[in-house]
Amino acid sequence: MSTQRDAELLVLGSGPGGYTAAFRAADLGLRVVLVERWPTLGGVCLNVGCIPSKALLHAARVIEEAAEMGARGIDFGPPRIDAARLNAWKNEVVGQLTKGLTGLAGQRQVSVLHGTGRFVSPTQMEVVNGGERSVVTFDQCIIAAGSEPARLANLPDDPRVMDSTGALELDPLPDRLLVIGGGIIGLEMATVYDALGVRVSVVELTKTLIPGCDRDLVRPLQKRIGARYESIMLGTRVTGVEAVGDGLRVSFEGDQAPGEVEVYDRVLVAVGRRANGGQIAAEKAGVNVDDRGIIAVDKQMRTNVPHIFAIGDVVGEPMLAHKATHEGRVAAEVAAGGRSFFDARVIPSVAYTDPEVAWVGLGEDEAKASAVGYEKGVFPWAASGRSLSIGRSEGLTKLLFDKESGQLIGAGIVGTSAGDLIAEAALAIEMGTDAADIGMTVHPHPTLSETLSFAAEAAEGTITDLYMPKR
Amino acid sequence: MEVVVPELGDFADVEIIEVLVSEGDEVRLEDPLITLETDKATMEVPSPAAGVVKGLRVAVGDRVSAGQPILLLDGVVVAEDEAPASGAAVHLEPAPEEPPSEEPTVAQRAVAEAPRTPVTQPRTLPPISEAGFSRAHASPSVRKLARELGVDLGQVSGTGKKGRVTADDVKAWVKAILRGSVELPGAGLPKIPEVDFASFGPIDVQPLGRIQRISGPRLQASWLNLPHVTQHDEADITGLEETRQELKAAALERGVRLTPLAFVIRACVLALEEYPRFRSSLTPDGEGLVLKNYCHIGFAADTPNGLVVPVIRDADQMGIHDLAAELGTLSQRARDGKLGPNDMQGGVFTVSSLGGIGGTAFTPIINAPEVAILGVSRSRFQPVYADGAFVPRLMLPLSLSYDHRVIDGAAAVRFTTYLCEALGDVERLLEPPSP
Repeated sequence: MSTQRDAELLVLGSGPGGYTAAFRAADLGLRVVLVERWPTLGGVCLNVGCIPSKALLHAARVIEEAAEMGARGIDFGPPRIDAARLNAWKNEVVGQLTKGLTGLAGQRQVSVLHGTGRFVSPTQMEVVNGGERSVVTFDQCIIAAGSEPARLANLPDDPRVMDSTGALELDPLPDRLLVIGGGIIGLEMATVYDALGVRVSVVELTKTLIPGCDRDLVRPLQKRIGARYESIMLGTRVTGVEAVGDGLRVSFEGDQAPGEVEVYDRVLVAVGRRANGGQIAAEKAGVNVDDRGIIAVDKQMRTNVPHIFAIGDVVGEPMLAHKATHEGRVAAEVAAGGRSFFDARVIPSVAYTDPEVAWVGLGEDEAKASAVGYEKGVFPWAASGRSLSIGRSEGLTKLLFDKESGQLIGAGIVGTSAGDLIAEAALAIEMGTDAADIGMTVHPHPTLSETLSFAAEAAEGTITDLYMPKR
Repeated sequence: MEVVVPELGDFADVEIIEVLVSEGDEVRLEDPLITLETDKATMEVPSPAAGVVKGLRVAVGDRVSAGQPILLLDGVVVAEDEAPASGAAVHLEPAPEEPPSEEPTVAQRAVAEAPRTPVTQPRTLPPISEAGFSRAHASPSVRKLARELGVDLGQVSGTGKKGRVTADDVKAWVKAILRGSVELPGAGLPKIPEVDFASFGPIDVQPLGRIQRISGPRLQASWLNLPHVTQHDEADITGLEETRQELKAAALERGVRLTPLAFVIRACVLALEEYPRFRSSLTPDGEGLVLKNYCHIGFAADTPNGLVVPVIRDADQMGIHDLAAELGTLSQRARDGKLGPNDMQGGVFTVSSLGGIGGTAFTPIINAPEVAILGVSRSRFQPVYADGAFVPRLMLPLSLSYDHRVIDGAAAVRFTTYLCEALGDVERLLEPPSP
């Protein structure tokens, strides 16, 4: 069966980038069709990514804070965890958001078409949903097809081997979990499982956790989880996983490989994400896709085919929802005849671990490697009243300023709420502020936000909350 | 065909600040017809075709919206490849290449409709250098505005705090470019590197005087825009100086200082009458010459506040004593800082005499849009070979800088030769001007 629909703009994928693009384009007067292969809108972020994981991380935080207070005179006793109830609550949060999205789409007369979309020509897409097939003819198209968890070869097809989506289903909780991959996603899920009482091990192929992030920012996190987790194996690879009746027998090799085969109840594979560019028959539209599934675009998010745009994870790293939403806006505005460009200087990254790690702009390790001249201002949270009063003093705020212009070029924060604090640094970079601009902006006391102004003062040499020997 | 105001995006009721064509004008495809000014920018509306302007429907100050008629074009010849995509008066950007398509009709429609840019970007805006754009000290909102207007932020100098480029800077830059009133600062010109002088020793920084701040850019504009050539020569003023000395005392009794400069100006007037091209100017488009039937002569005057150029009106109608008197009056007013704007306008030729101080020759910068300037250095006795022997003669060094676009080298030498002859013939200089 085949039906015909017409769209001035077809948006493929309803994740944060896709729905933002669709809504923006509709607001600019285009007749928009939004194609989504899952039953709900919102993509990975809302359904099986940022939002559910943050709900669980919040639960983890509450458990940890309650436990921390035990030593300070308020003992709640050990938590009784109802994984099924927790799971249901998480799903409620997701449901509320995705339902909201459906409402927003309706208000804008964006027609939502559920099914898997594939190009059949430069102006047509077929959408297959079960036995139903329809063909949408469009004038312009925005590909927002996202990414999916990368897989490892040679792993058994067993429900106990999970990806990040499976890991969000907590019920039942395992006793012993191995996380393969010490990046942001793996460590966030490790944080949740650890707080829920699961014995967690992490194995990472490279020699560091969160590759790409400055070492000094990772160190406080590594110190805390190193003491809590069963083991953290760096520079180590998994050589085999064997599914047996009582668990998953995992063998390792490398720097910190255990001497013998270990048995885990579950294995979480979190070794990165793969762009979905290869799944949409892009060649039928003439759109180039590279062998990693990534579609190349220009600053207006146009692919090599001028009336077809691509945004979000499918155009490559960083694969972050907040990058996708901004790209989605640009593509929608250009499709509607505007003159928009993706001109953001920086895109912040956050690991919602405990403690959180967040960074934006140029990293110090990167600056050193590329011989960029910089001045550094660091404020250790051990000197922050607020940090001590919430019982967590391991944090650090670091600002990097361009040696020539004096402007902020990078920032890194580790500690409670680092992900919220990094936004100020992102704004400061976009606005081209220097150390005096940040240091002389009055920050409320006592807050963690003060650490940014203190770090700026440290860079300027005007700080009084630390003693710094004369340079 | 009727030409209408193109789609203006979010704008309506936009003011026409310039009408660039008039009835009967022949226009080519893309020639600007009118200039519109919104609160965001000025933009030109280009002609959608070649033809002759008939029935102008608008005037400066009118407020118009999209679709309103501007004028009628007669004798329109629309070549296939020149026809605007939609047939309307909108100049679309060059359409991007079409994708390989199984259904060309729809794809073409998509491509044609995609760039719904309000009006054409002024062709005078240089292309954006992405590297410079991304380094510009400008906030995201200013970057957005620059993108909308097609402005290369790297070229715009900021007036905000710490050199930040503001929205107003972007708008002003576009306006200046459109008016052609600003040469792109630094565009194409390598910058002189900044030096931290204080690192070599103690320094003081003083602001430039008002006059220097005004004259600096004008001098630079002349020096950059005009192909300067300087012709040197020497005039024998032995006889002139003897006569001047004889007349000096009597003139002074009448309150007139009979300076050598008065004689030089008188000689220049005679030379300019013989060679009127030296008091012409190029038309703004550089394709014609404005010949002036008047002879106001400027002279450079050194004052405590800086260099100024007062202008002697109708110098061709003055005898030597009147010239000397006017020179004295204007010089005094210049020293007192009492010159009005009228006293410094309208010159056709300028004399810059440094002879009172010294020098053997220099290369004066032309007071554009004039096309020539005479530099005068210090006269001195020199041995001149005449009638089989060296004789001491008082020689006056002259340096004539001229705009080579207007004046040929041969003409310049004829002019200086004539000038030298005039300066050697004091009787002629003393004659009253011919009516």
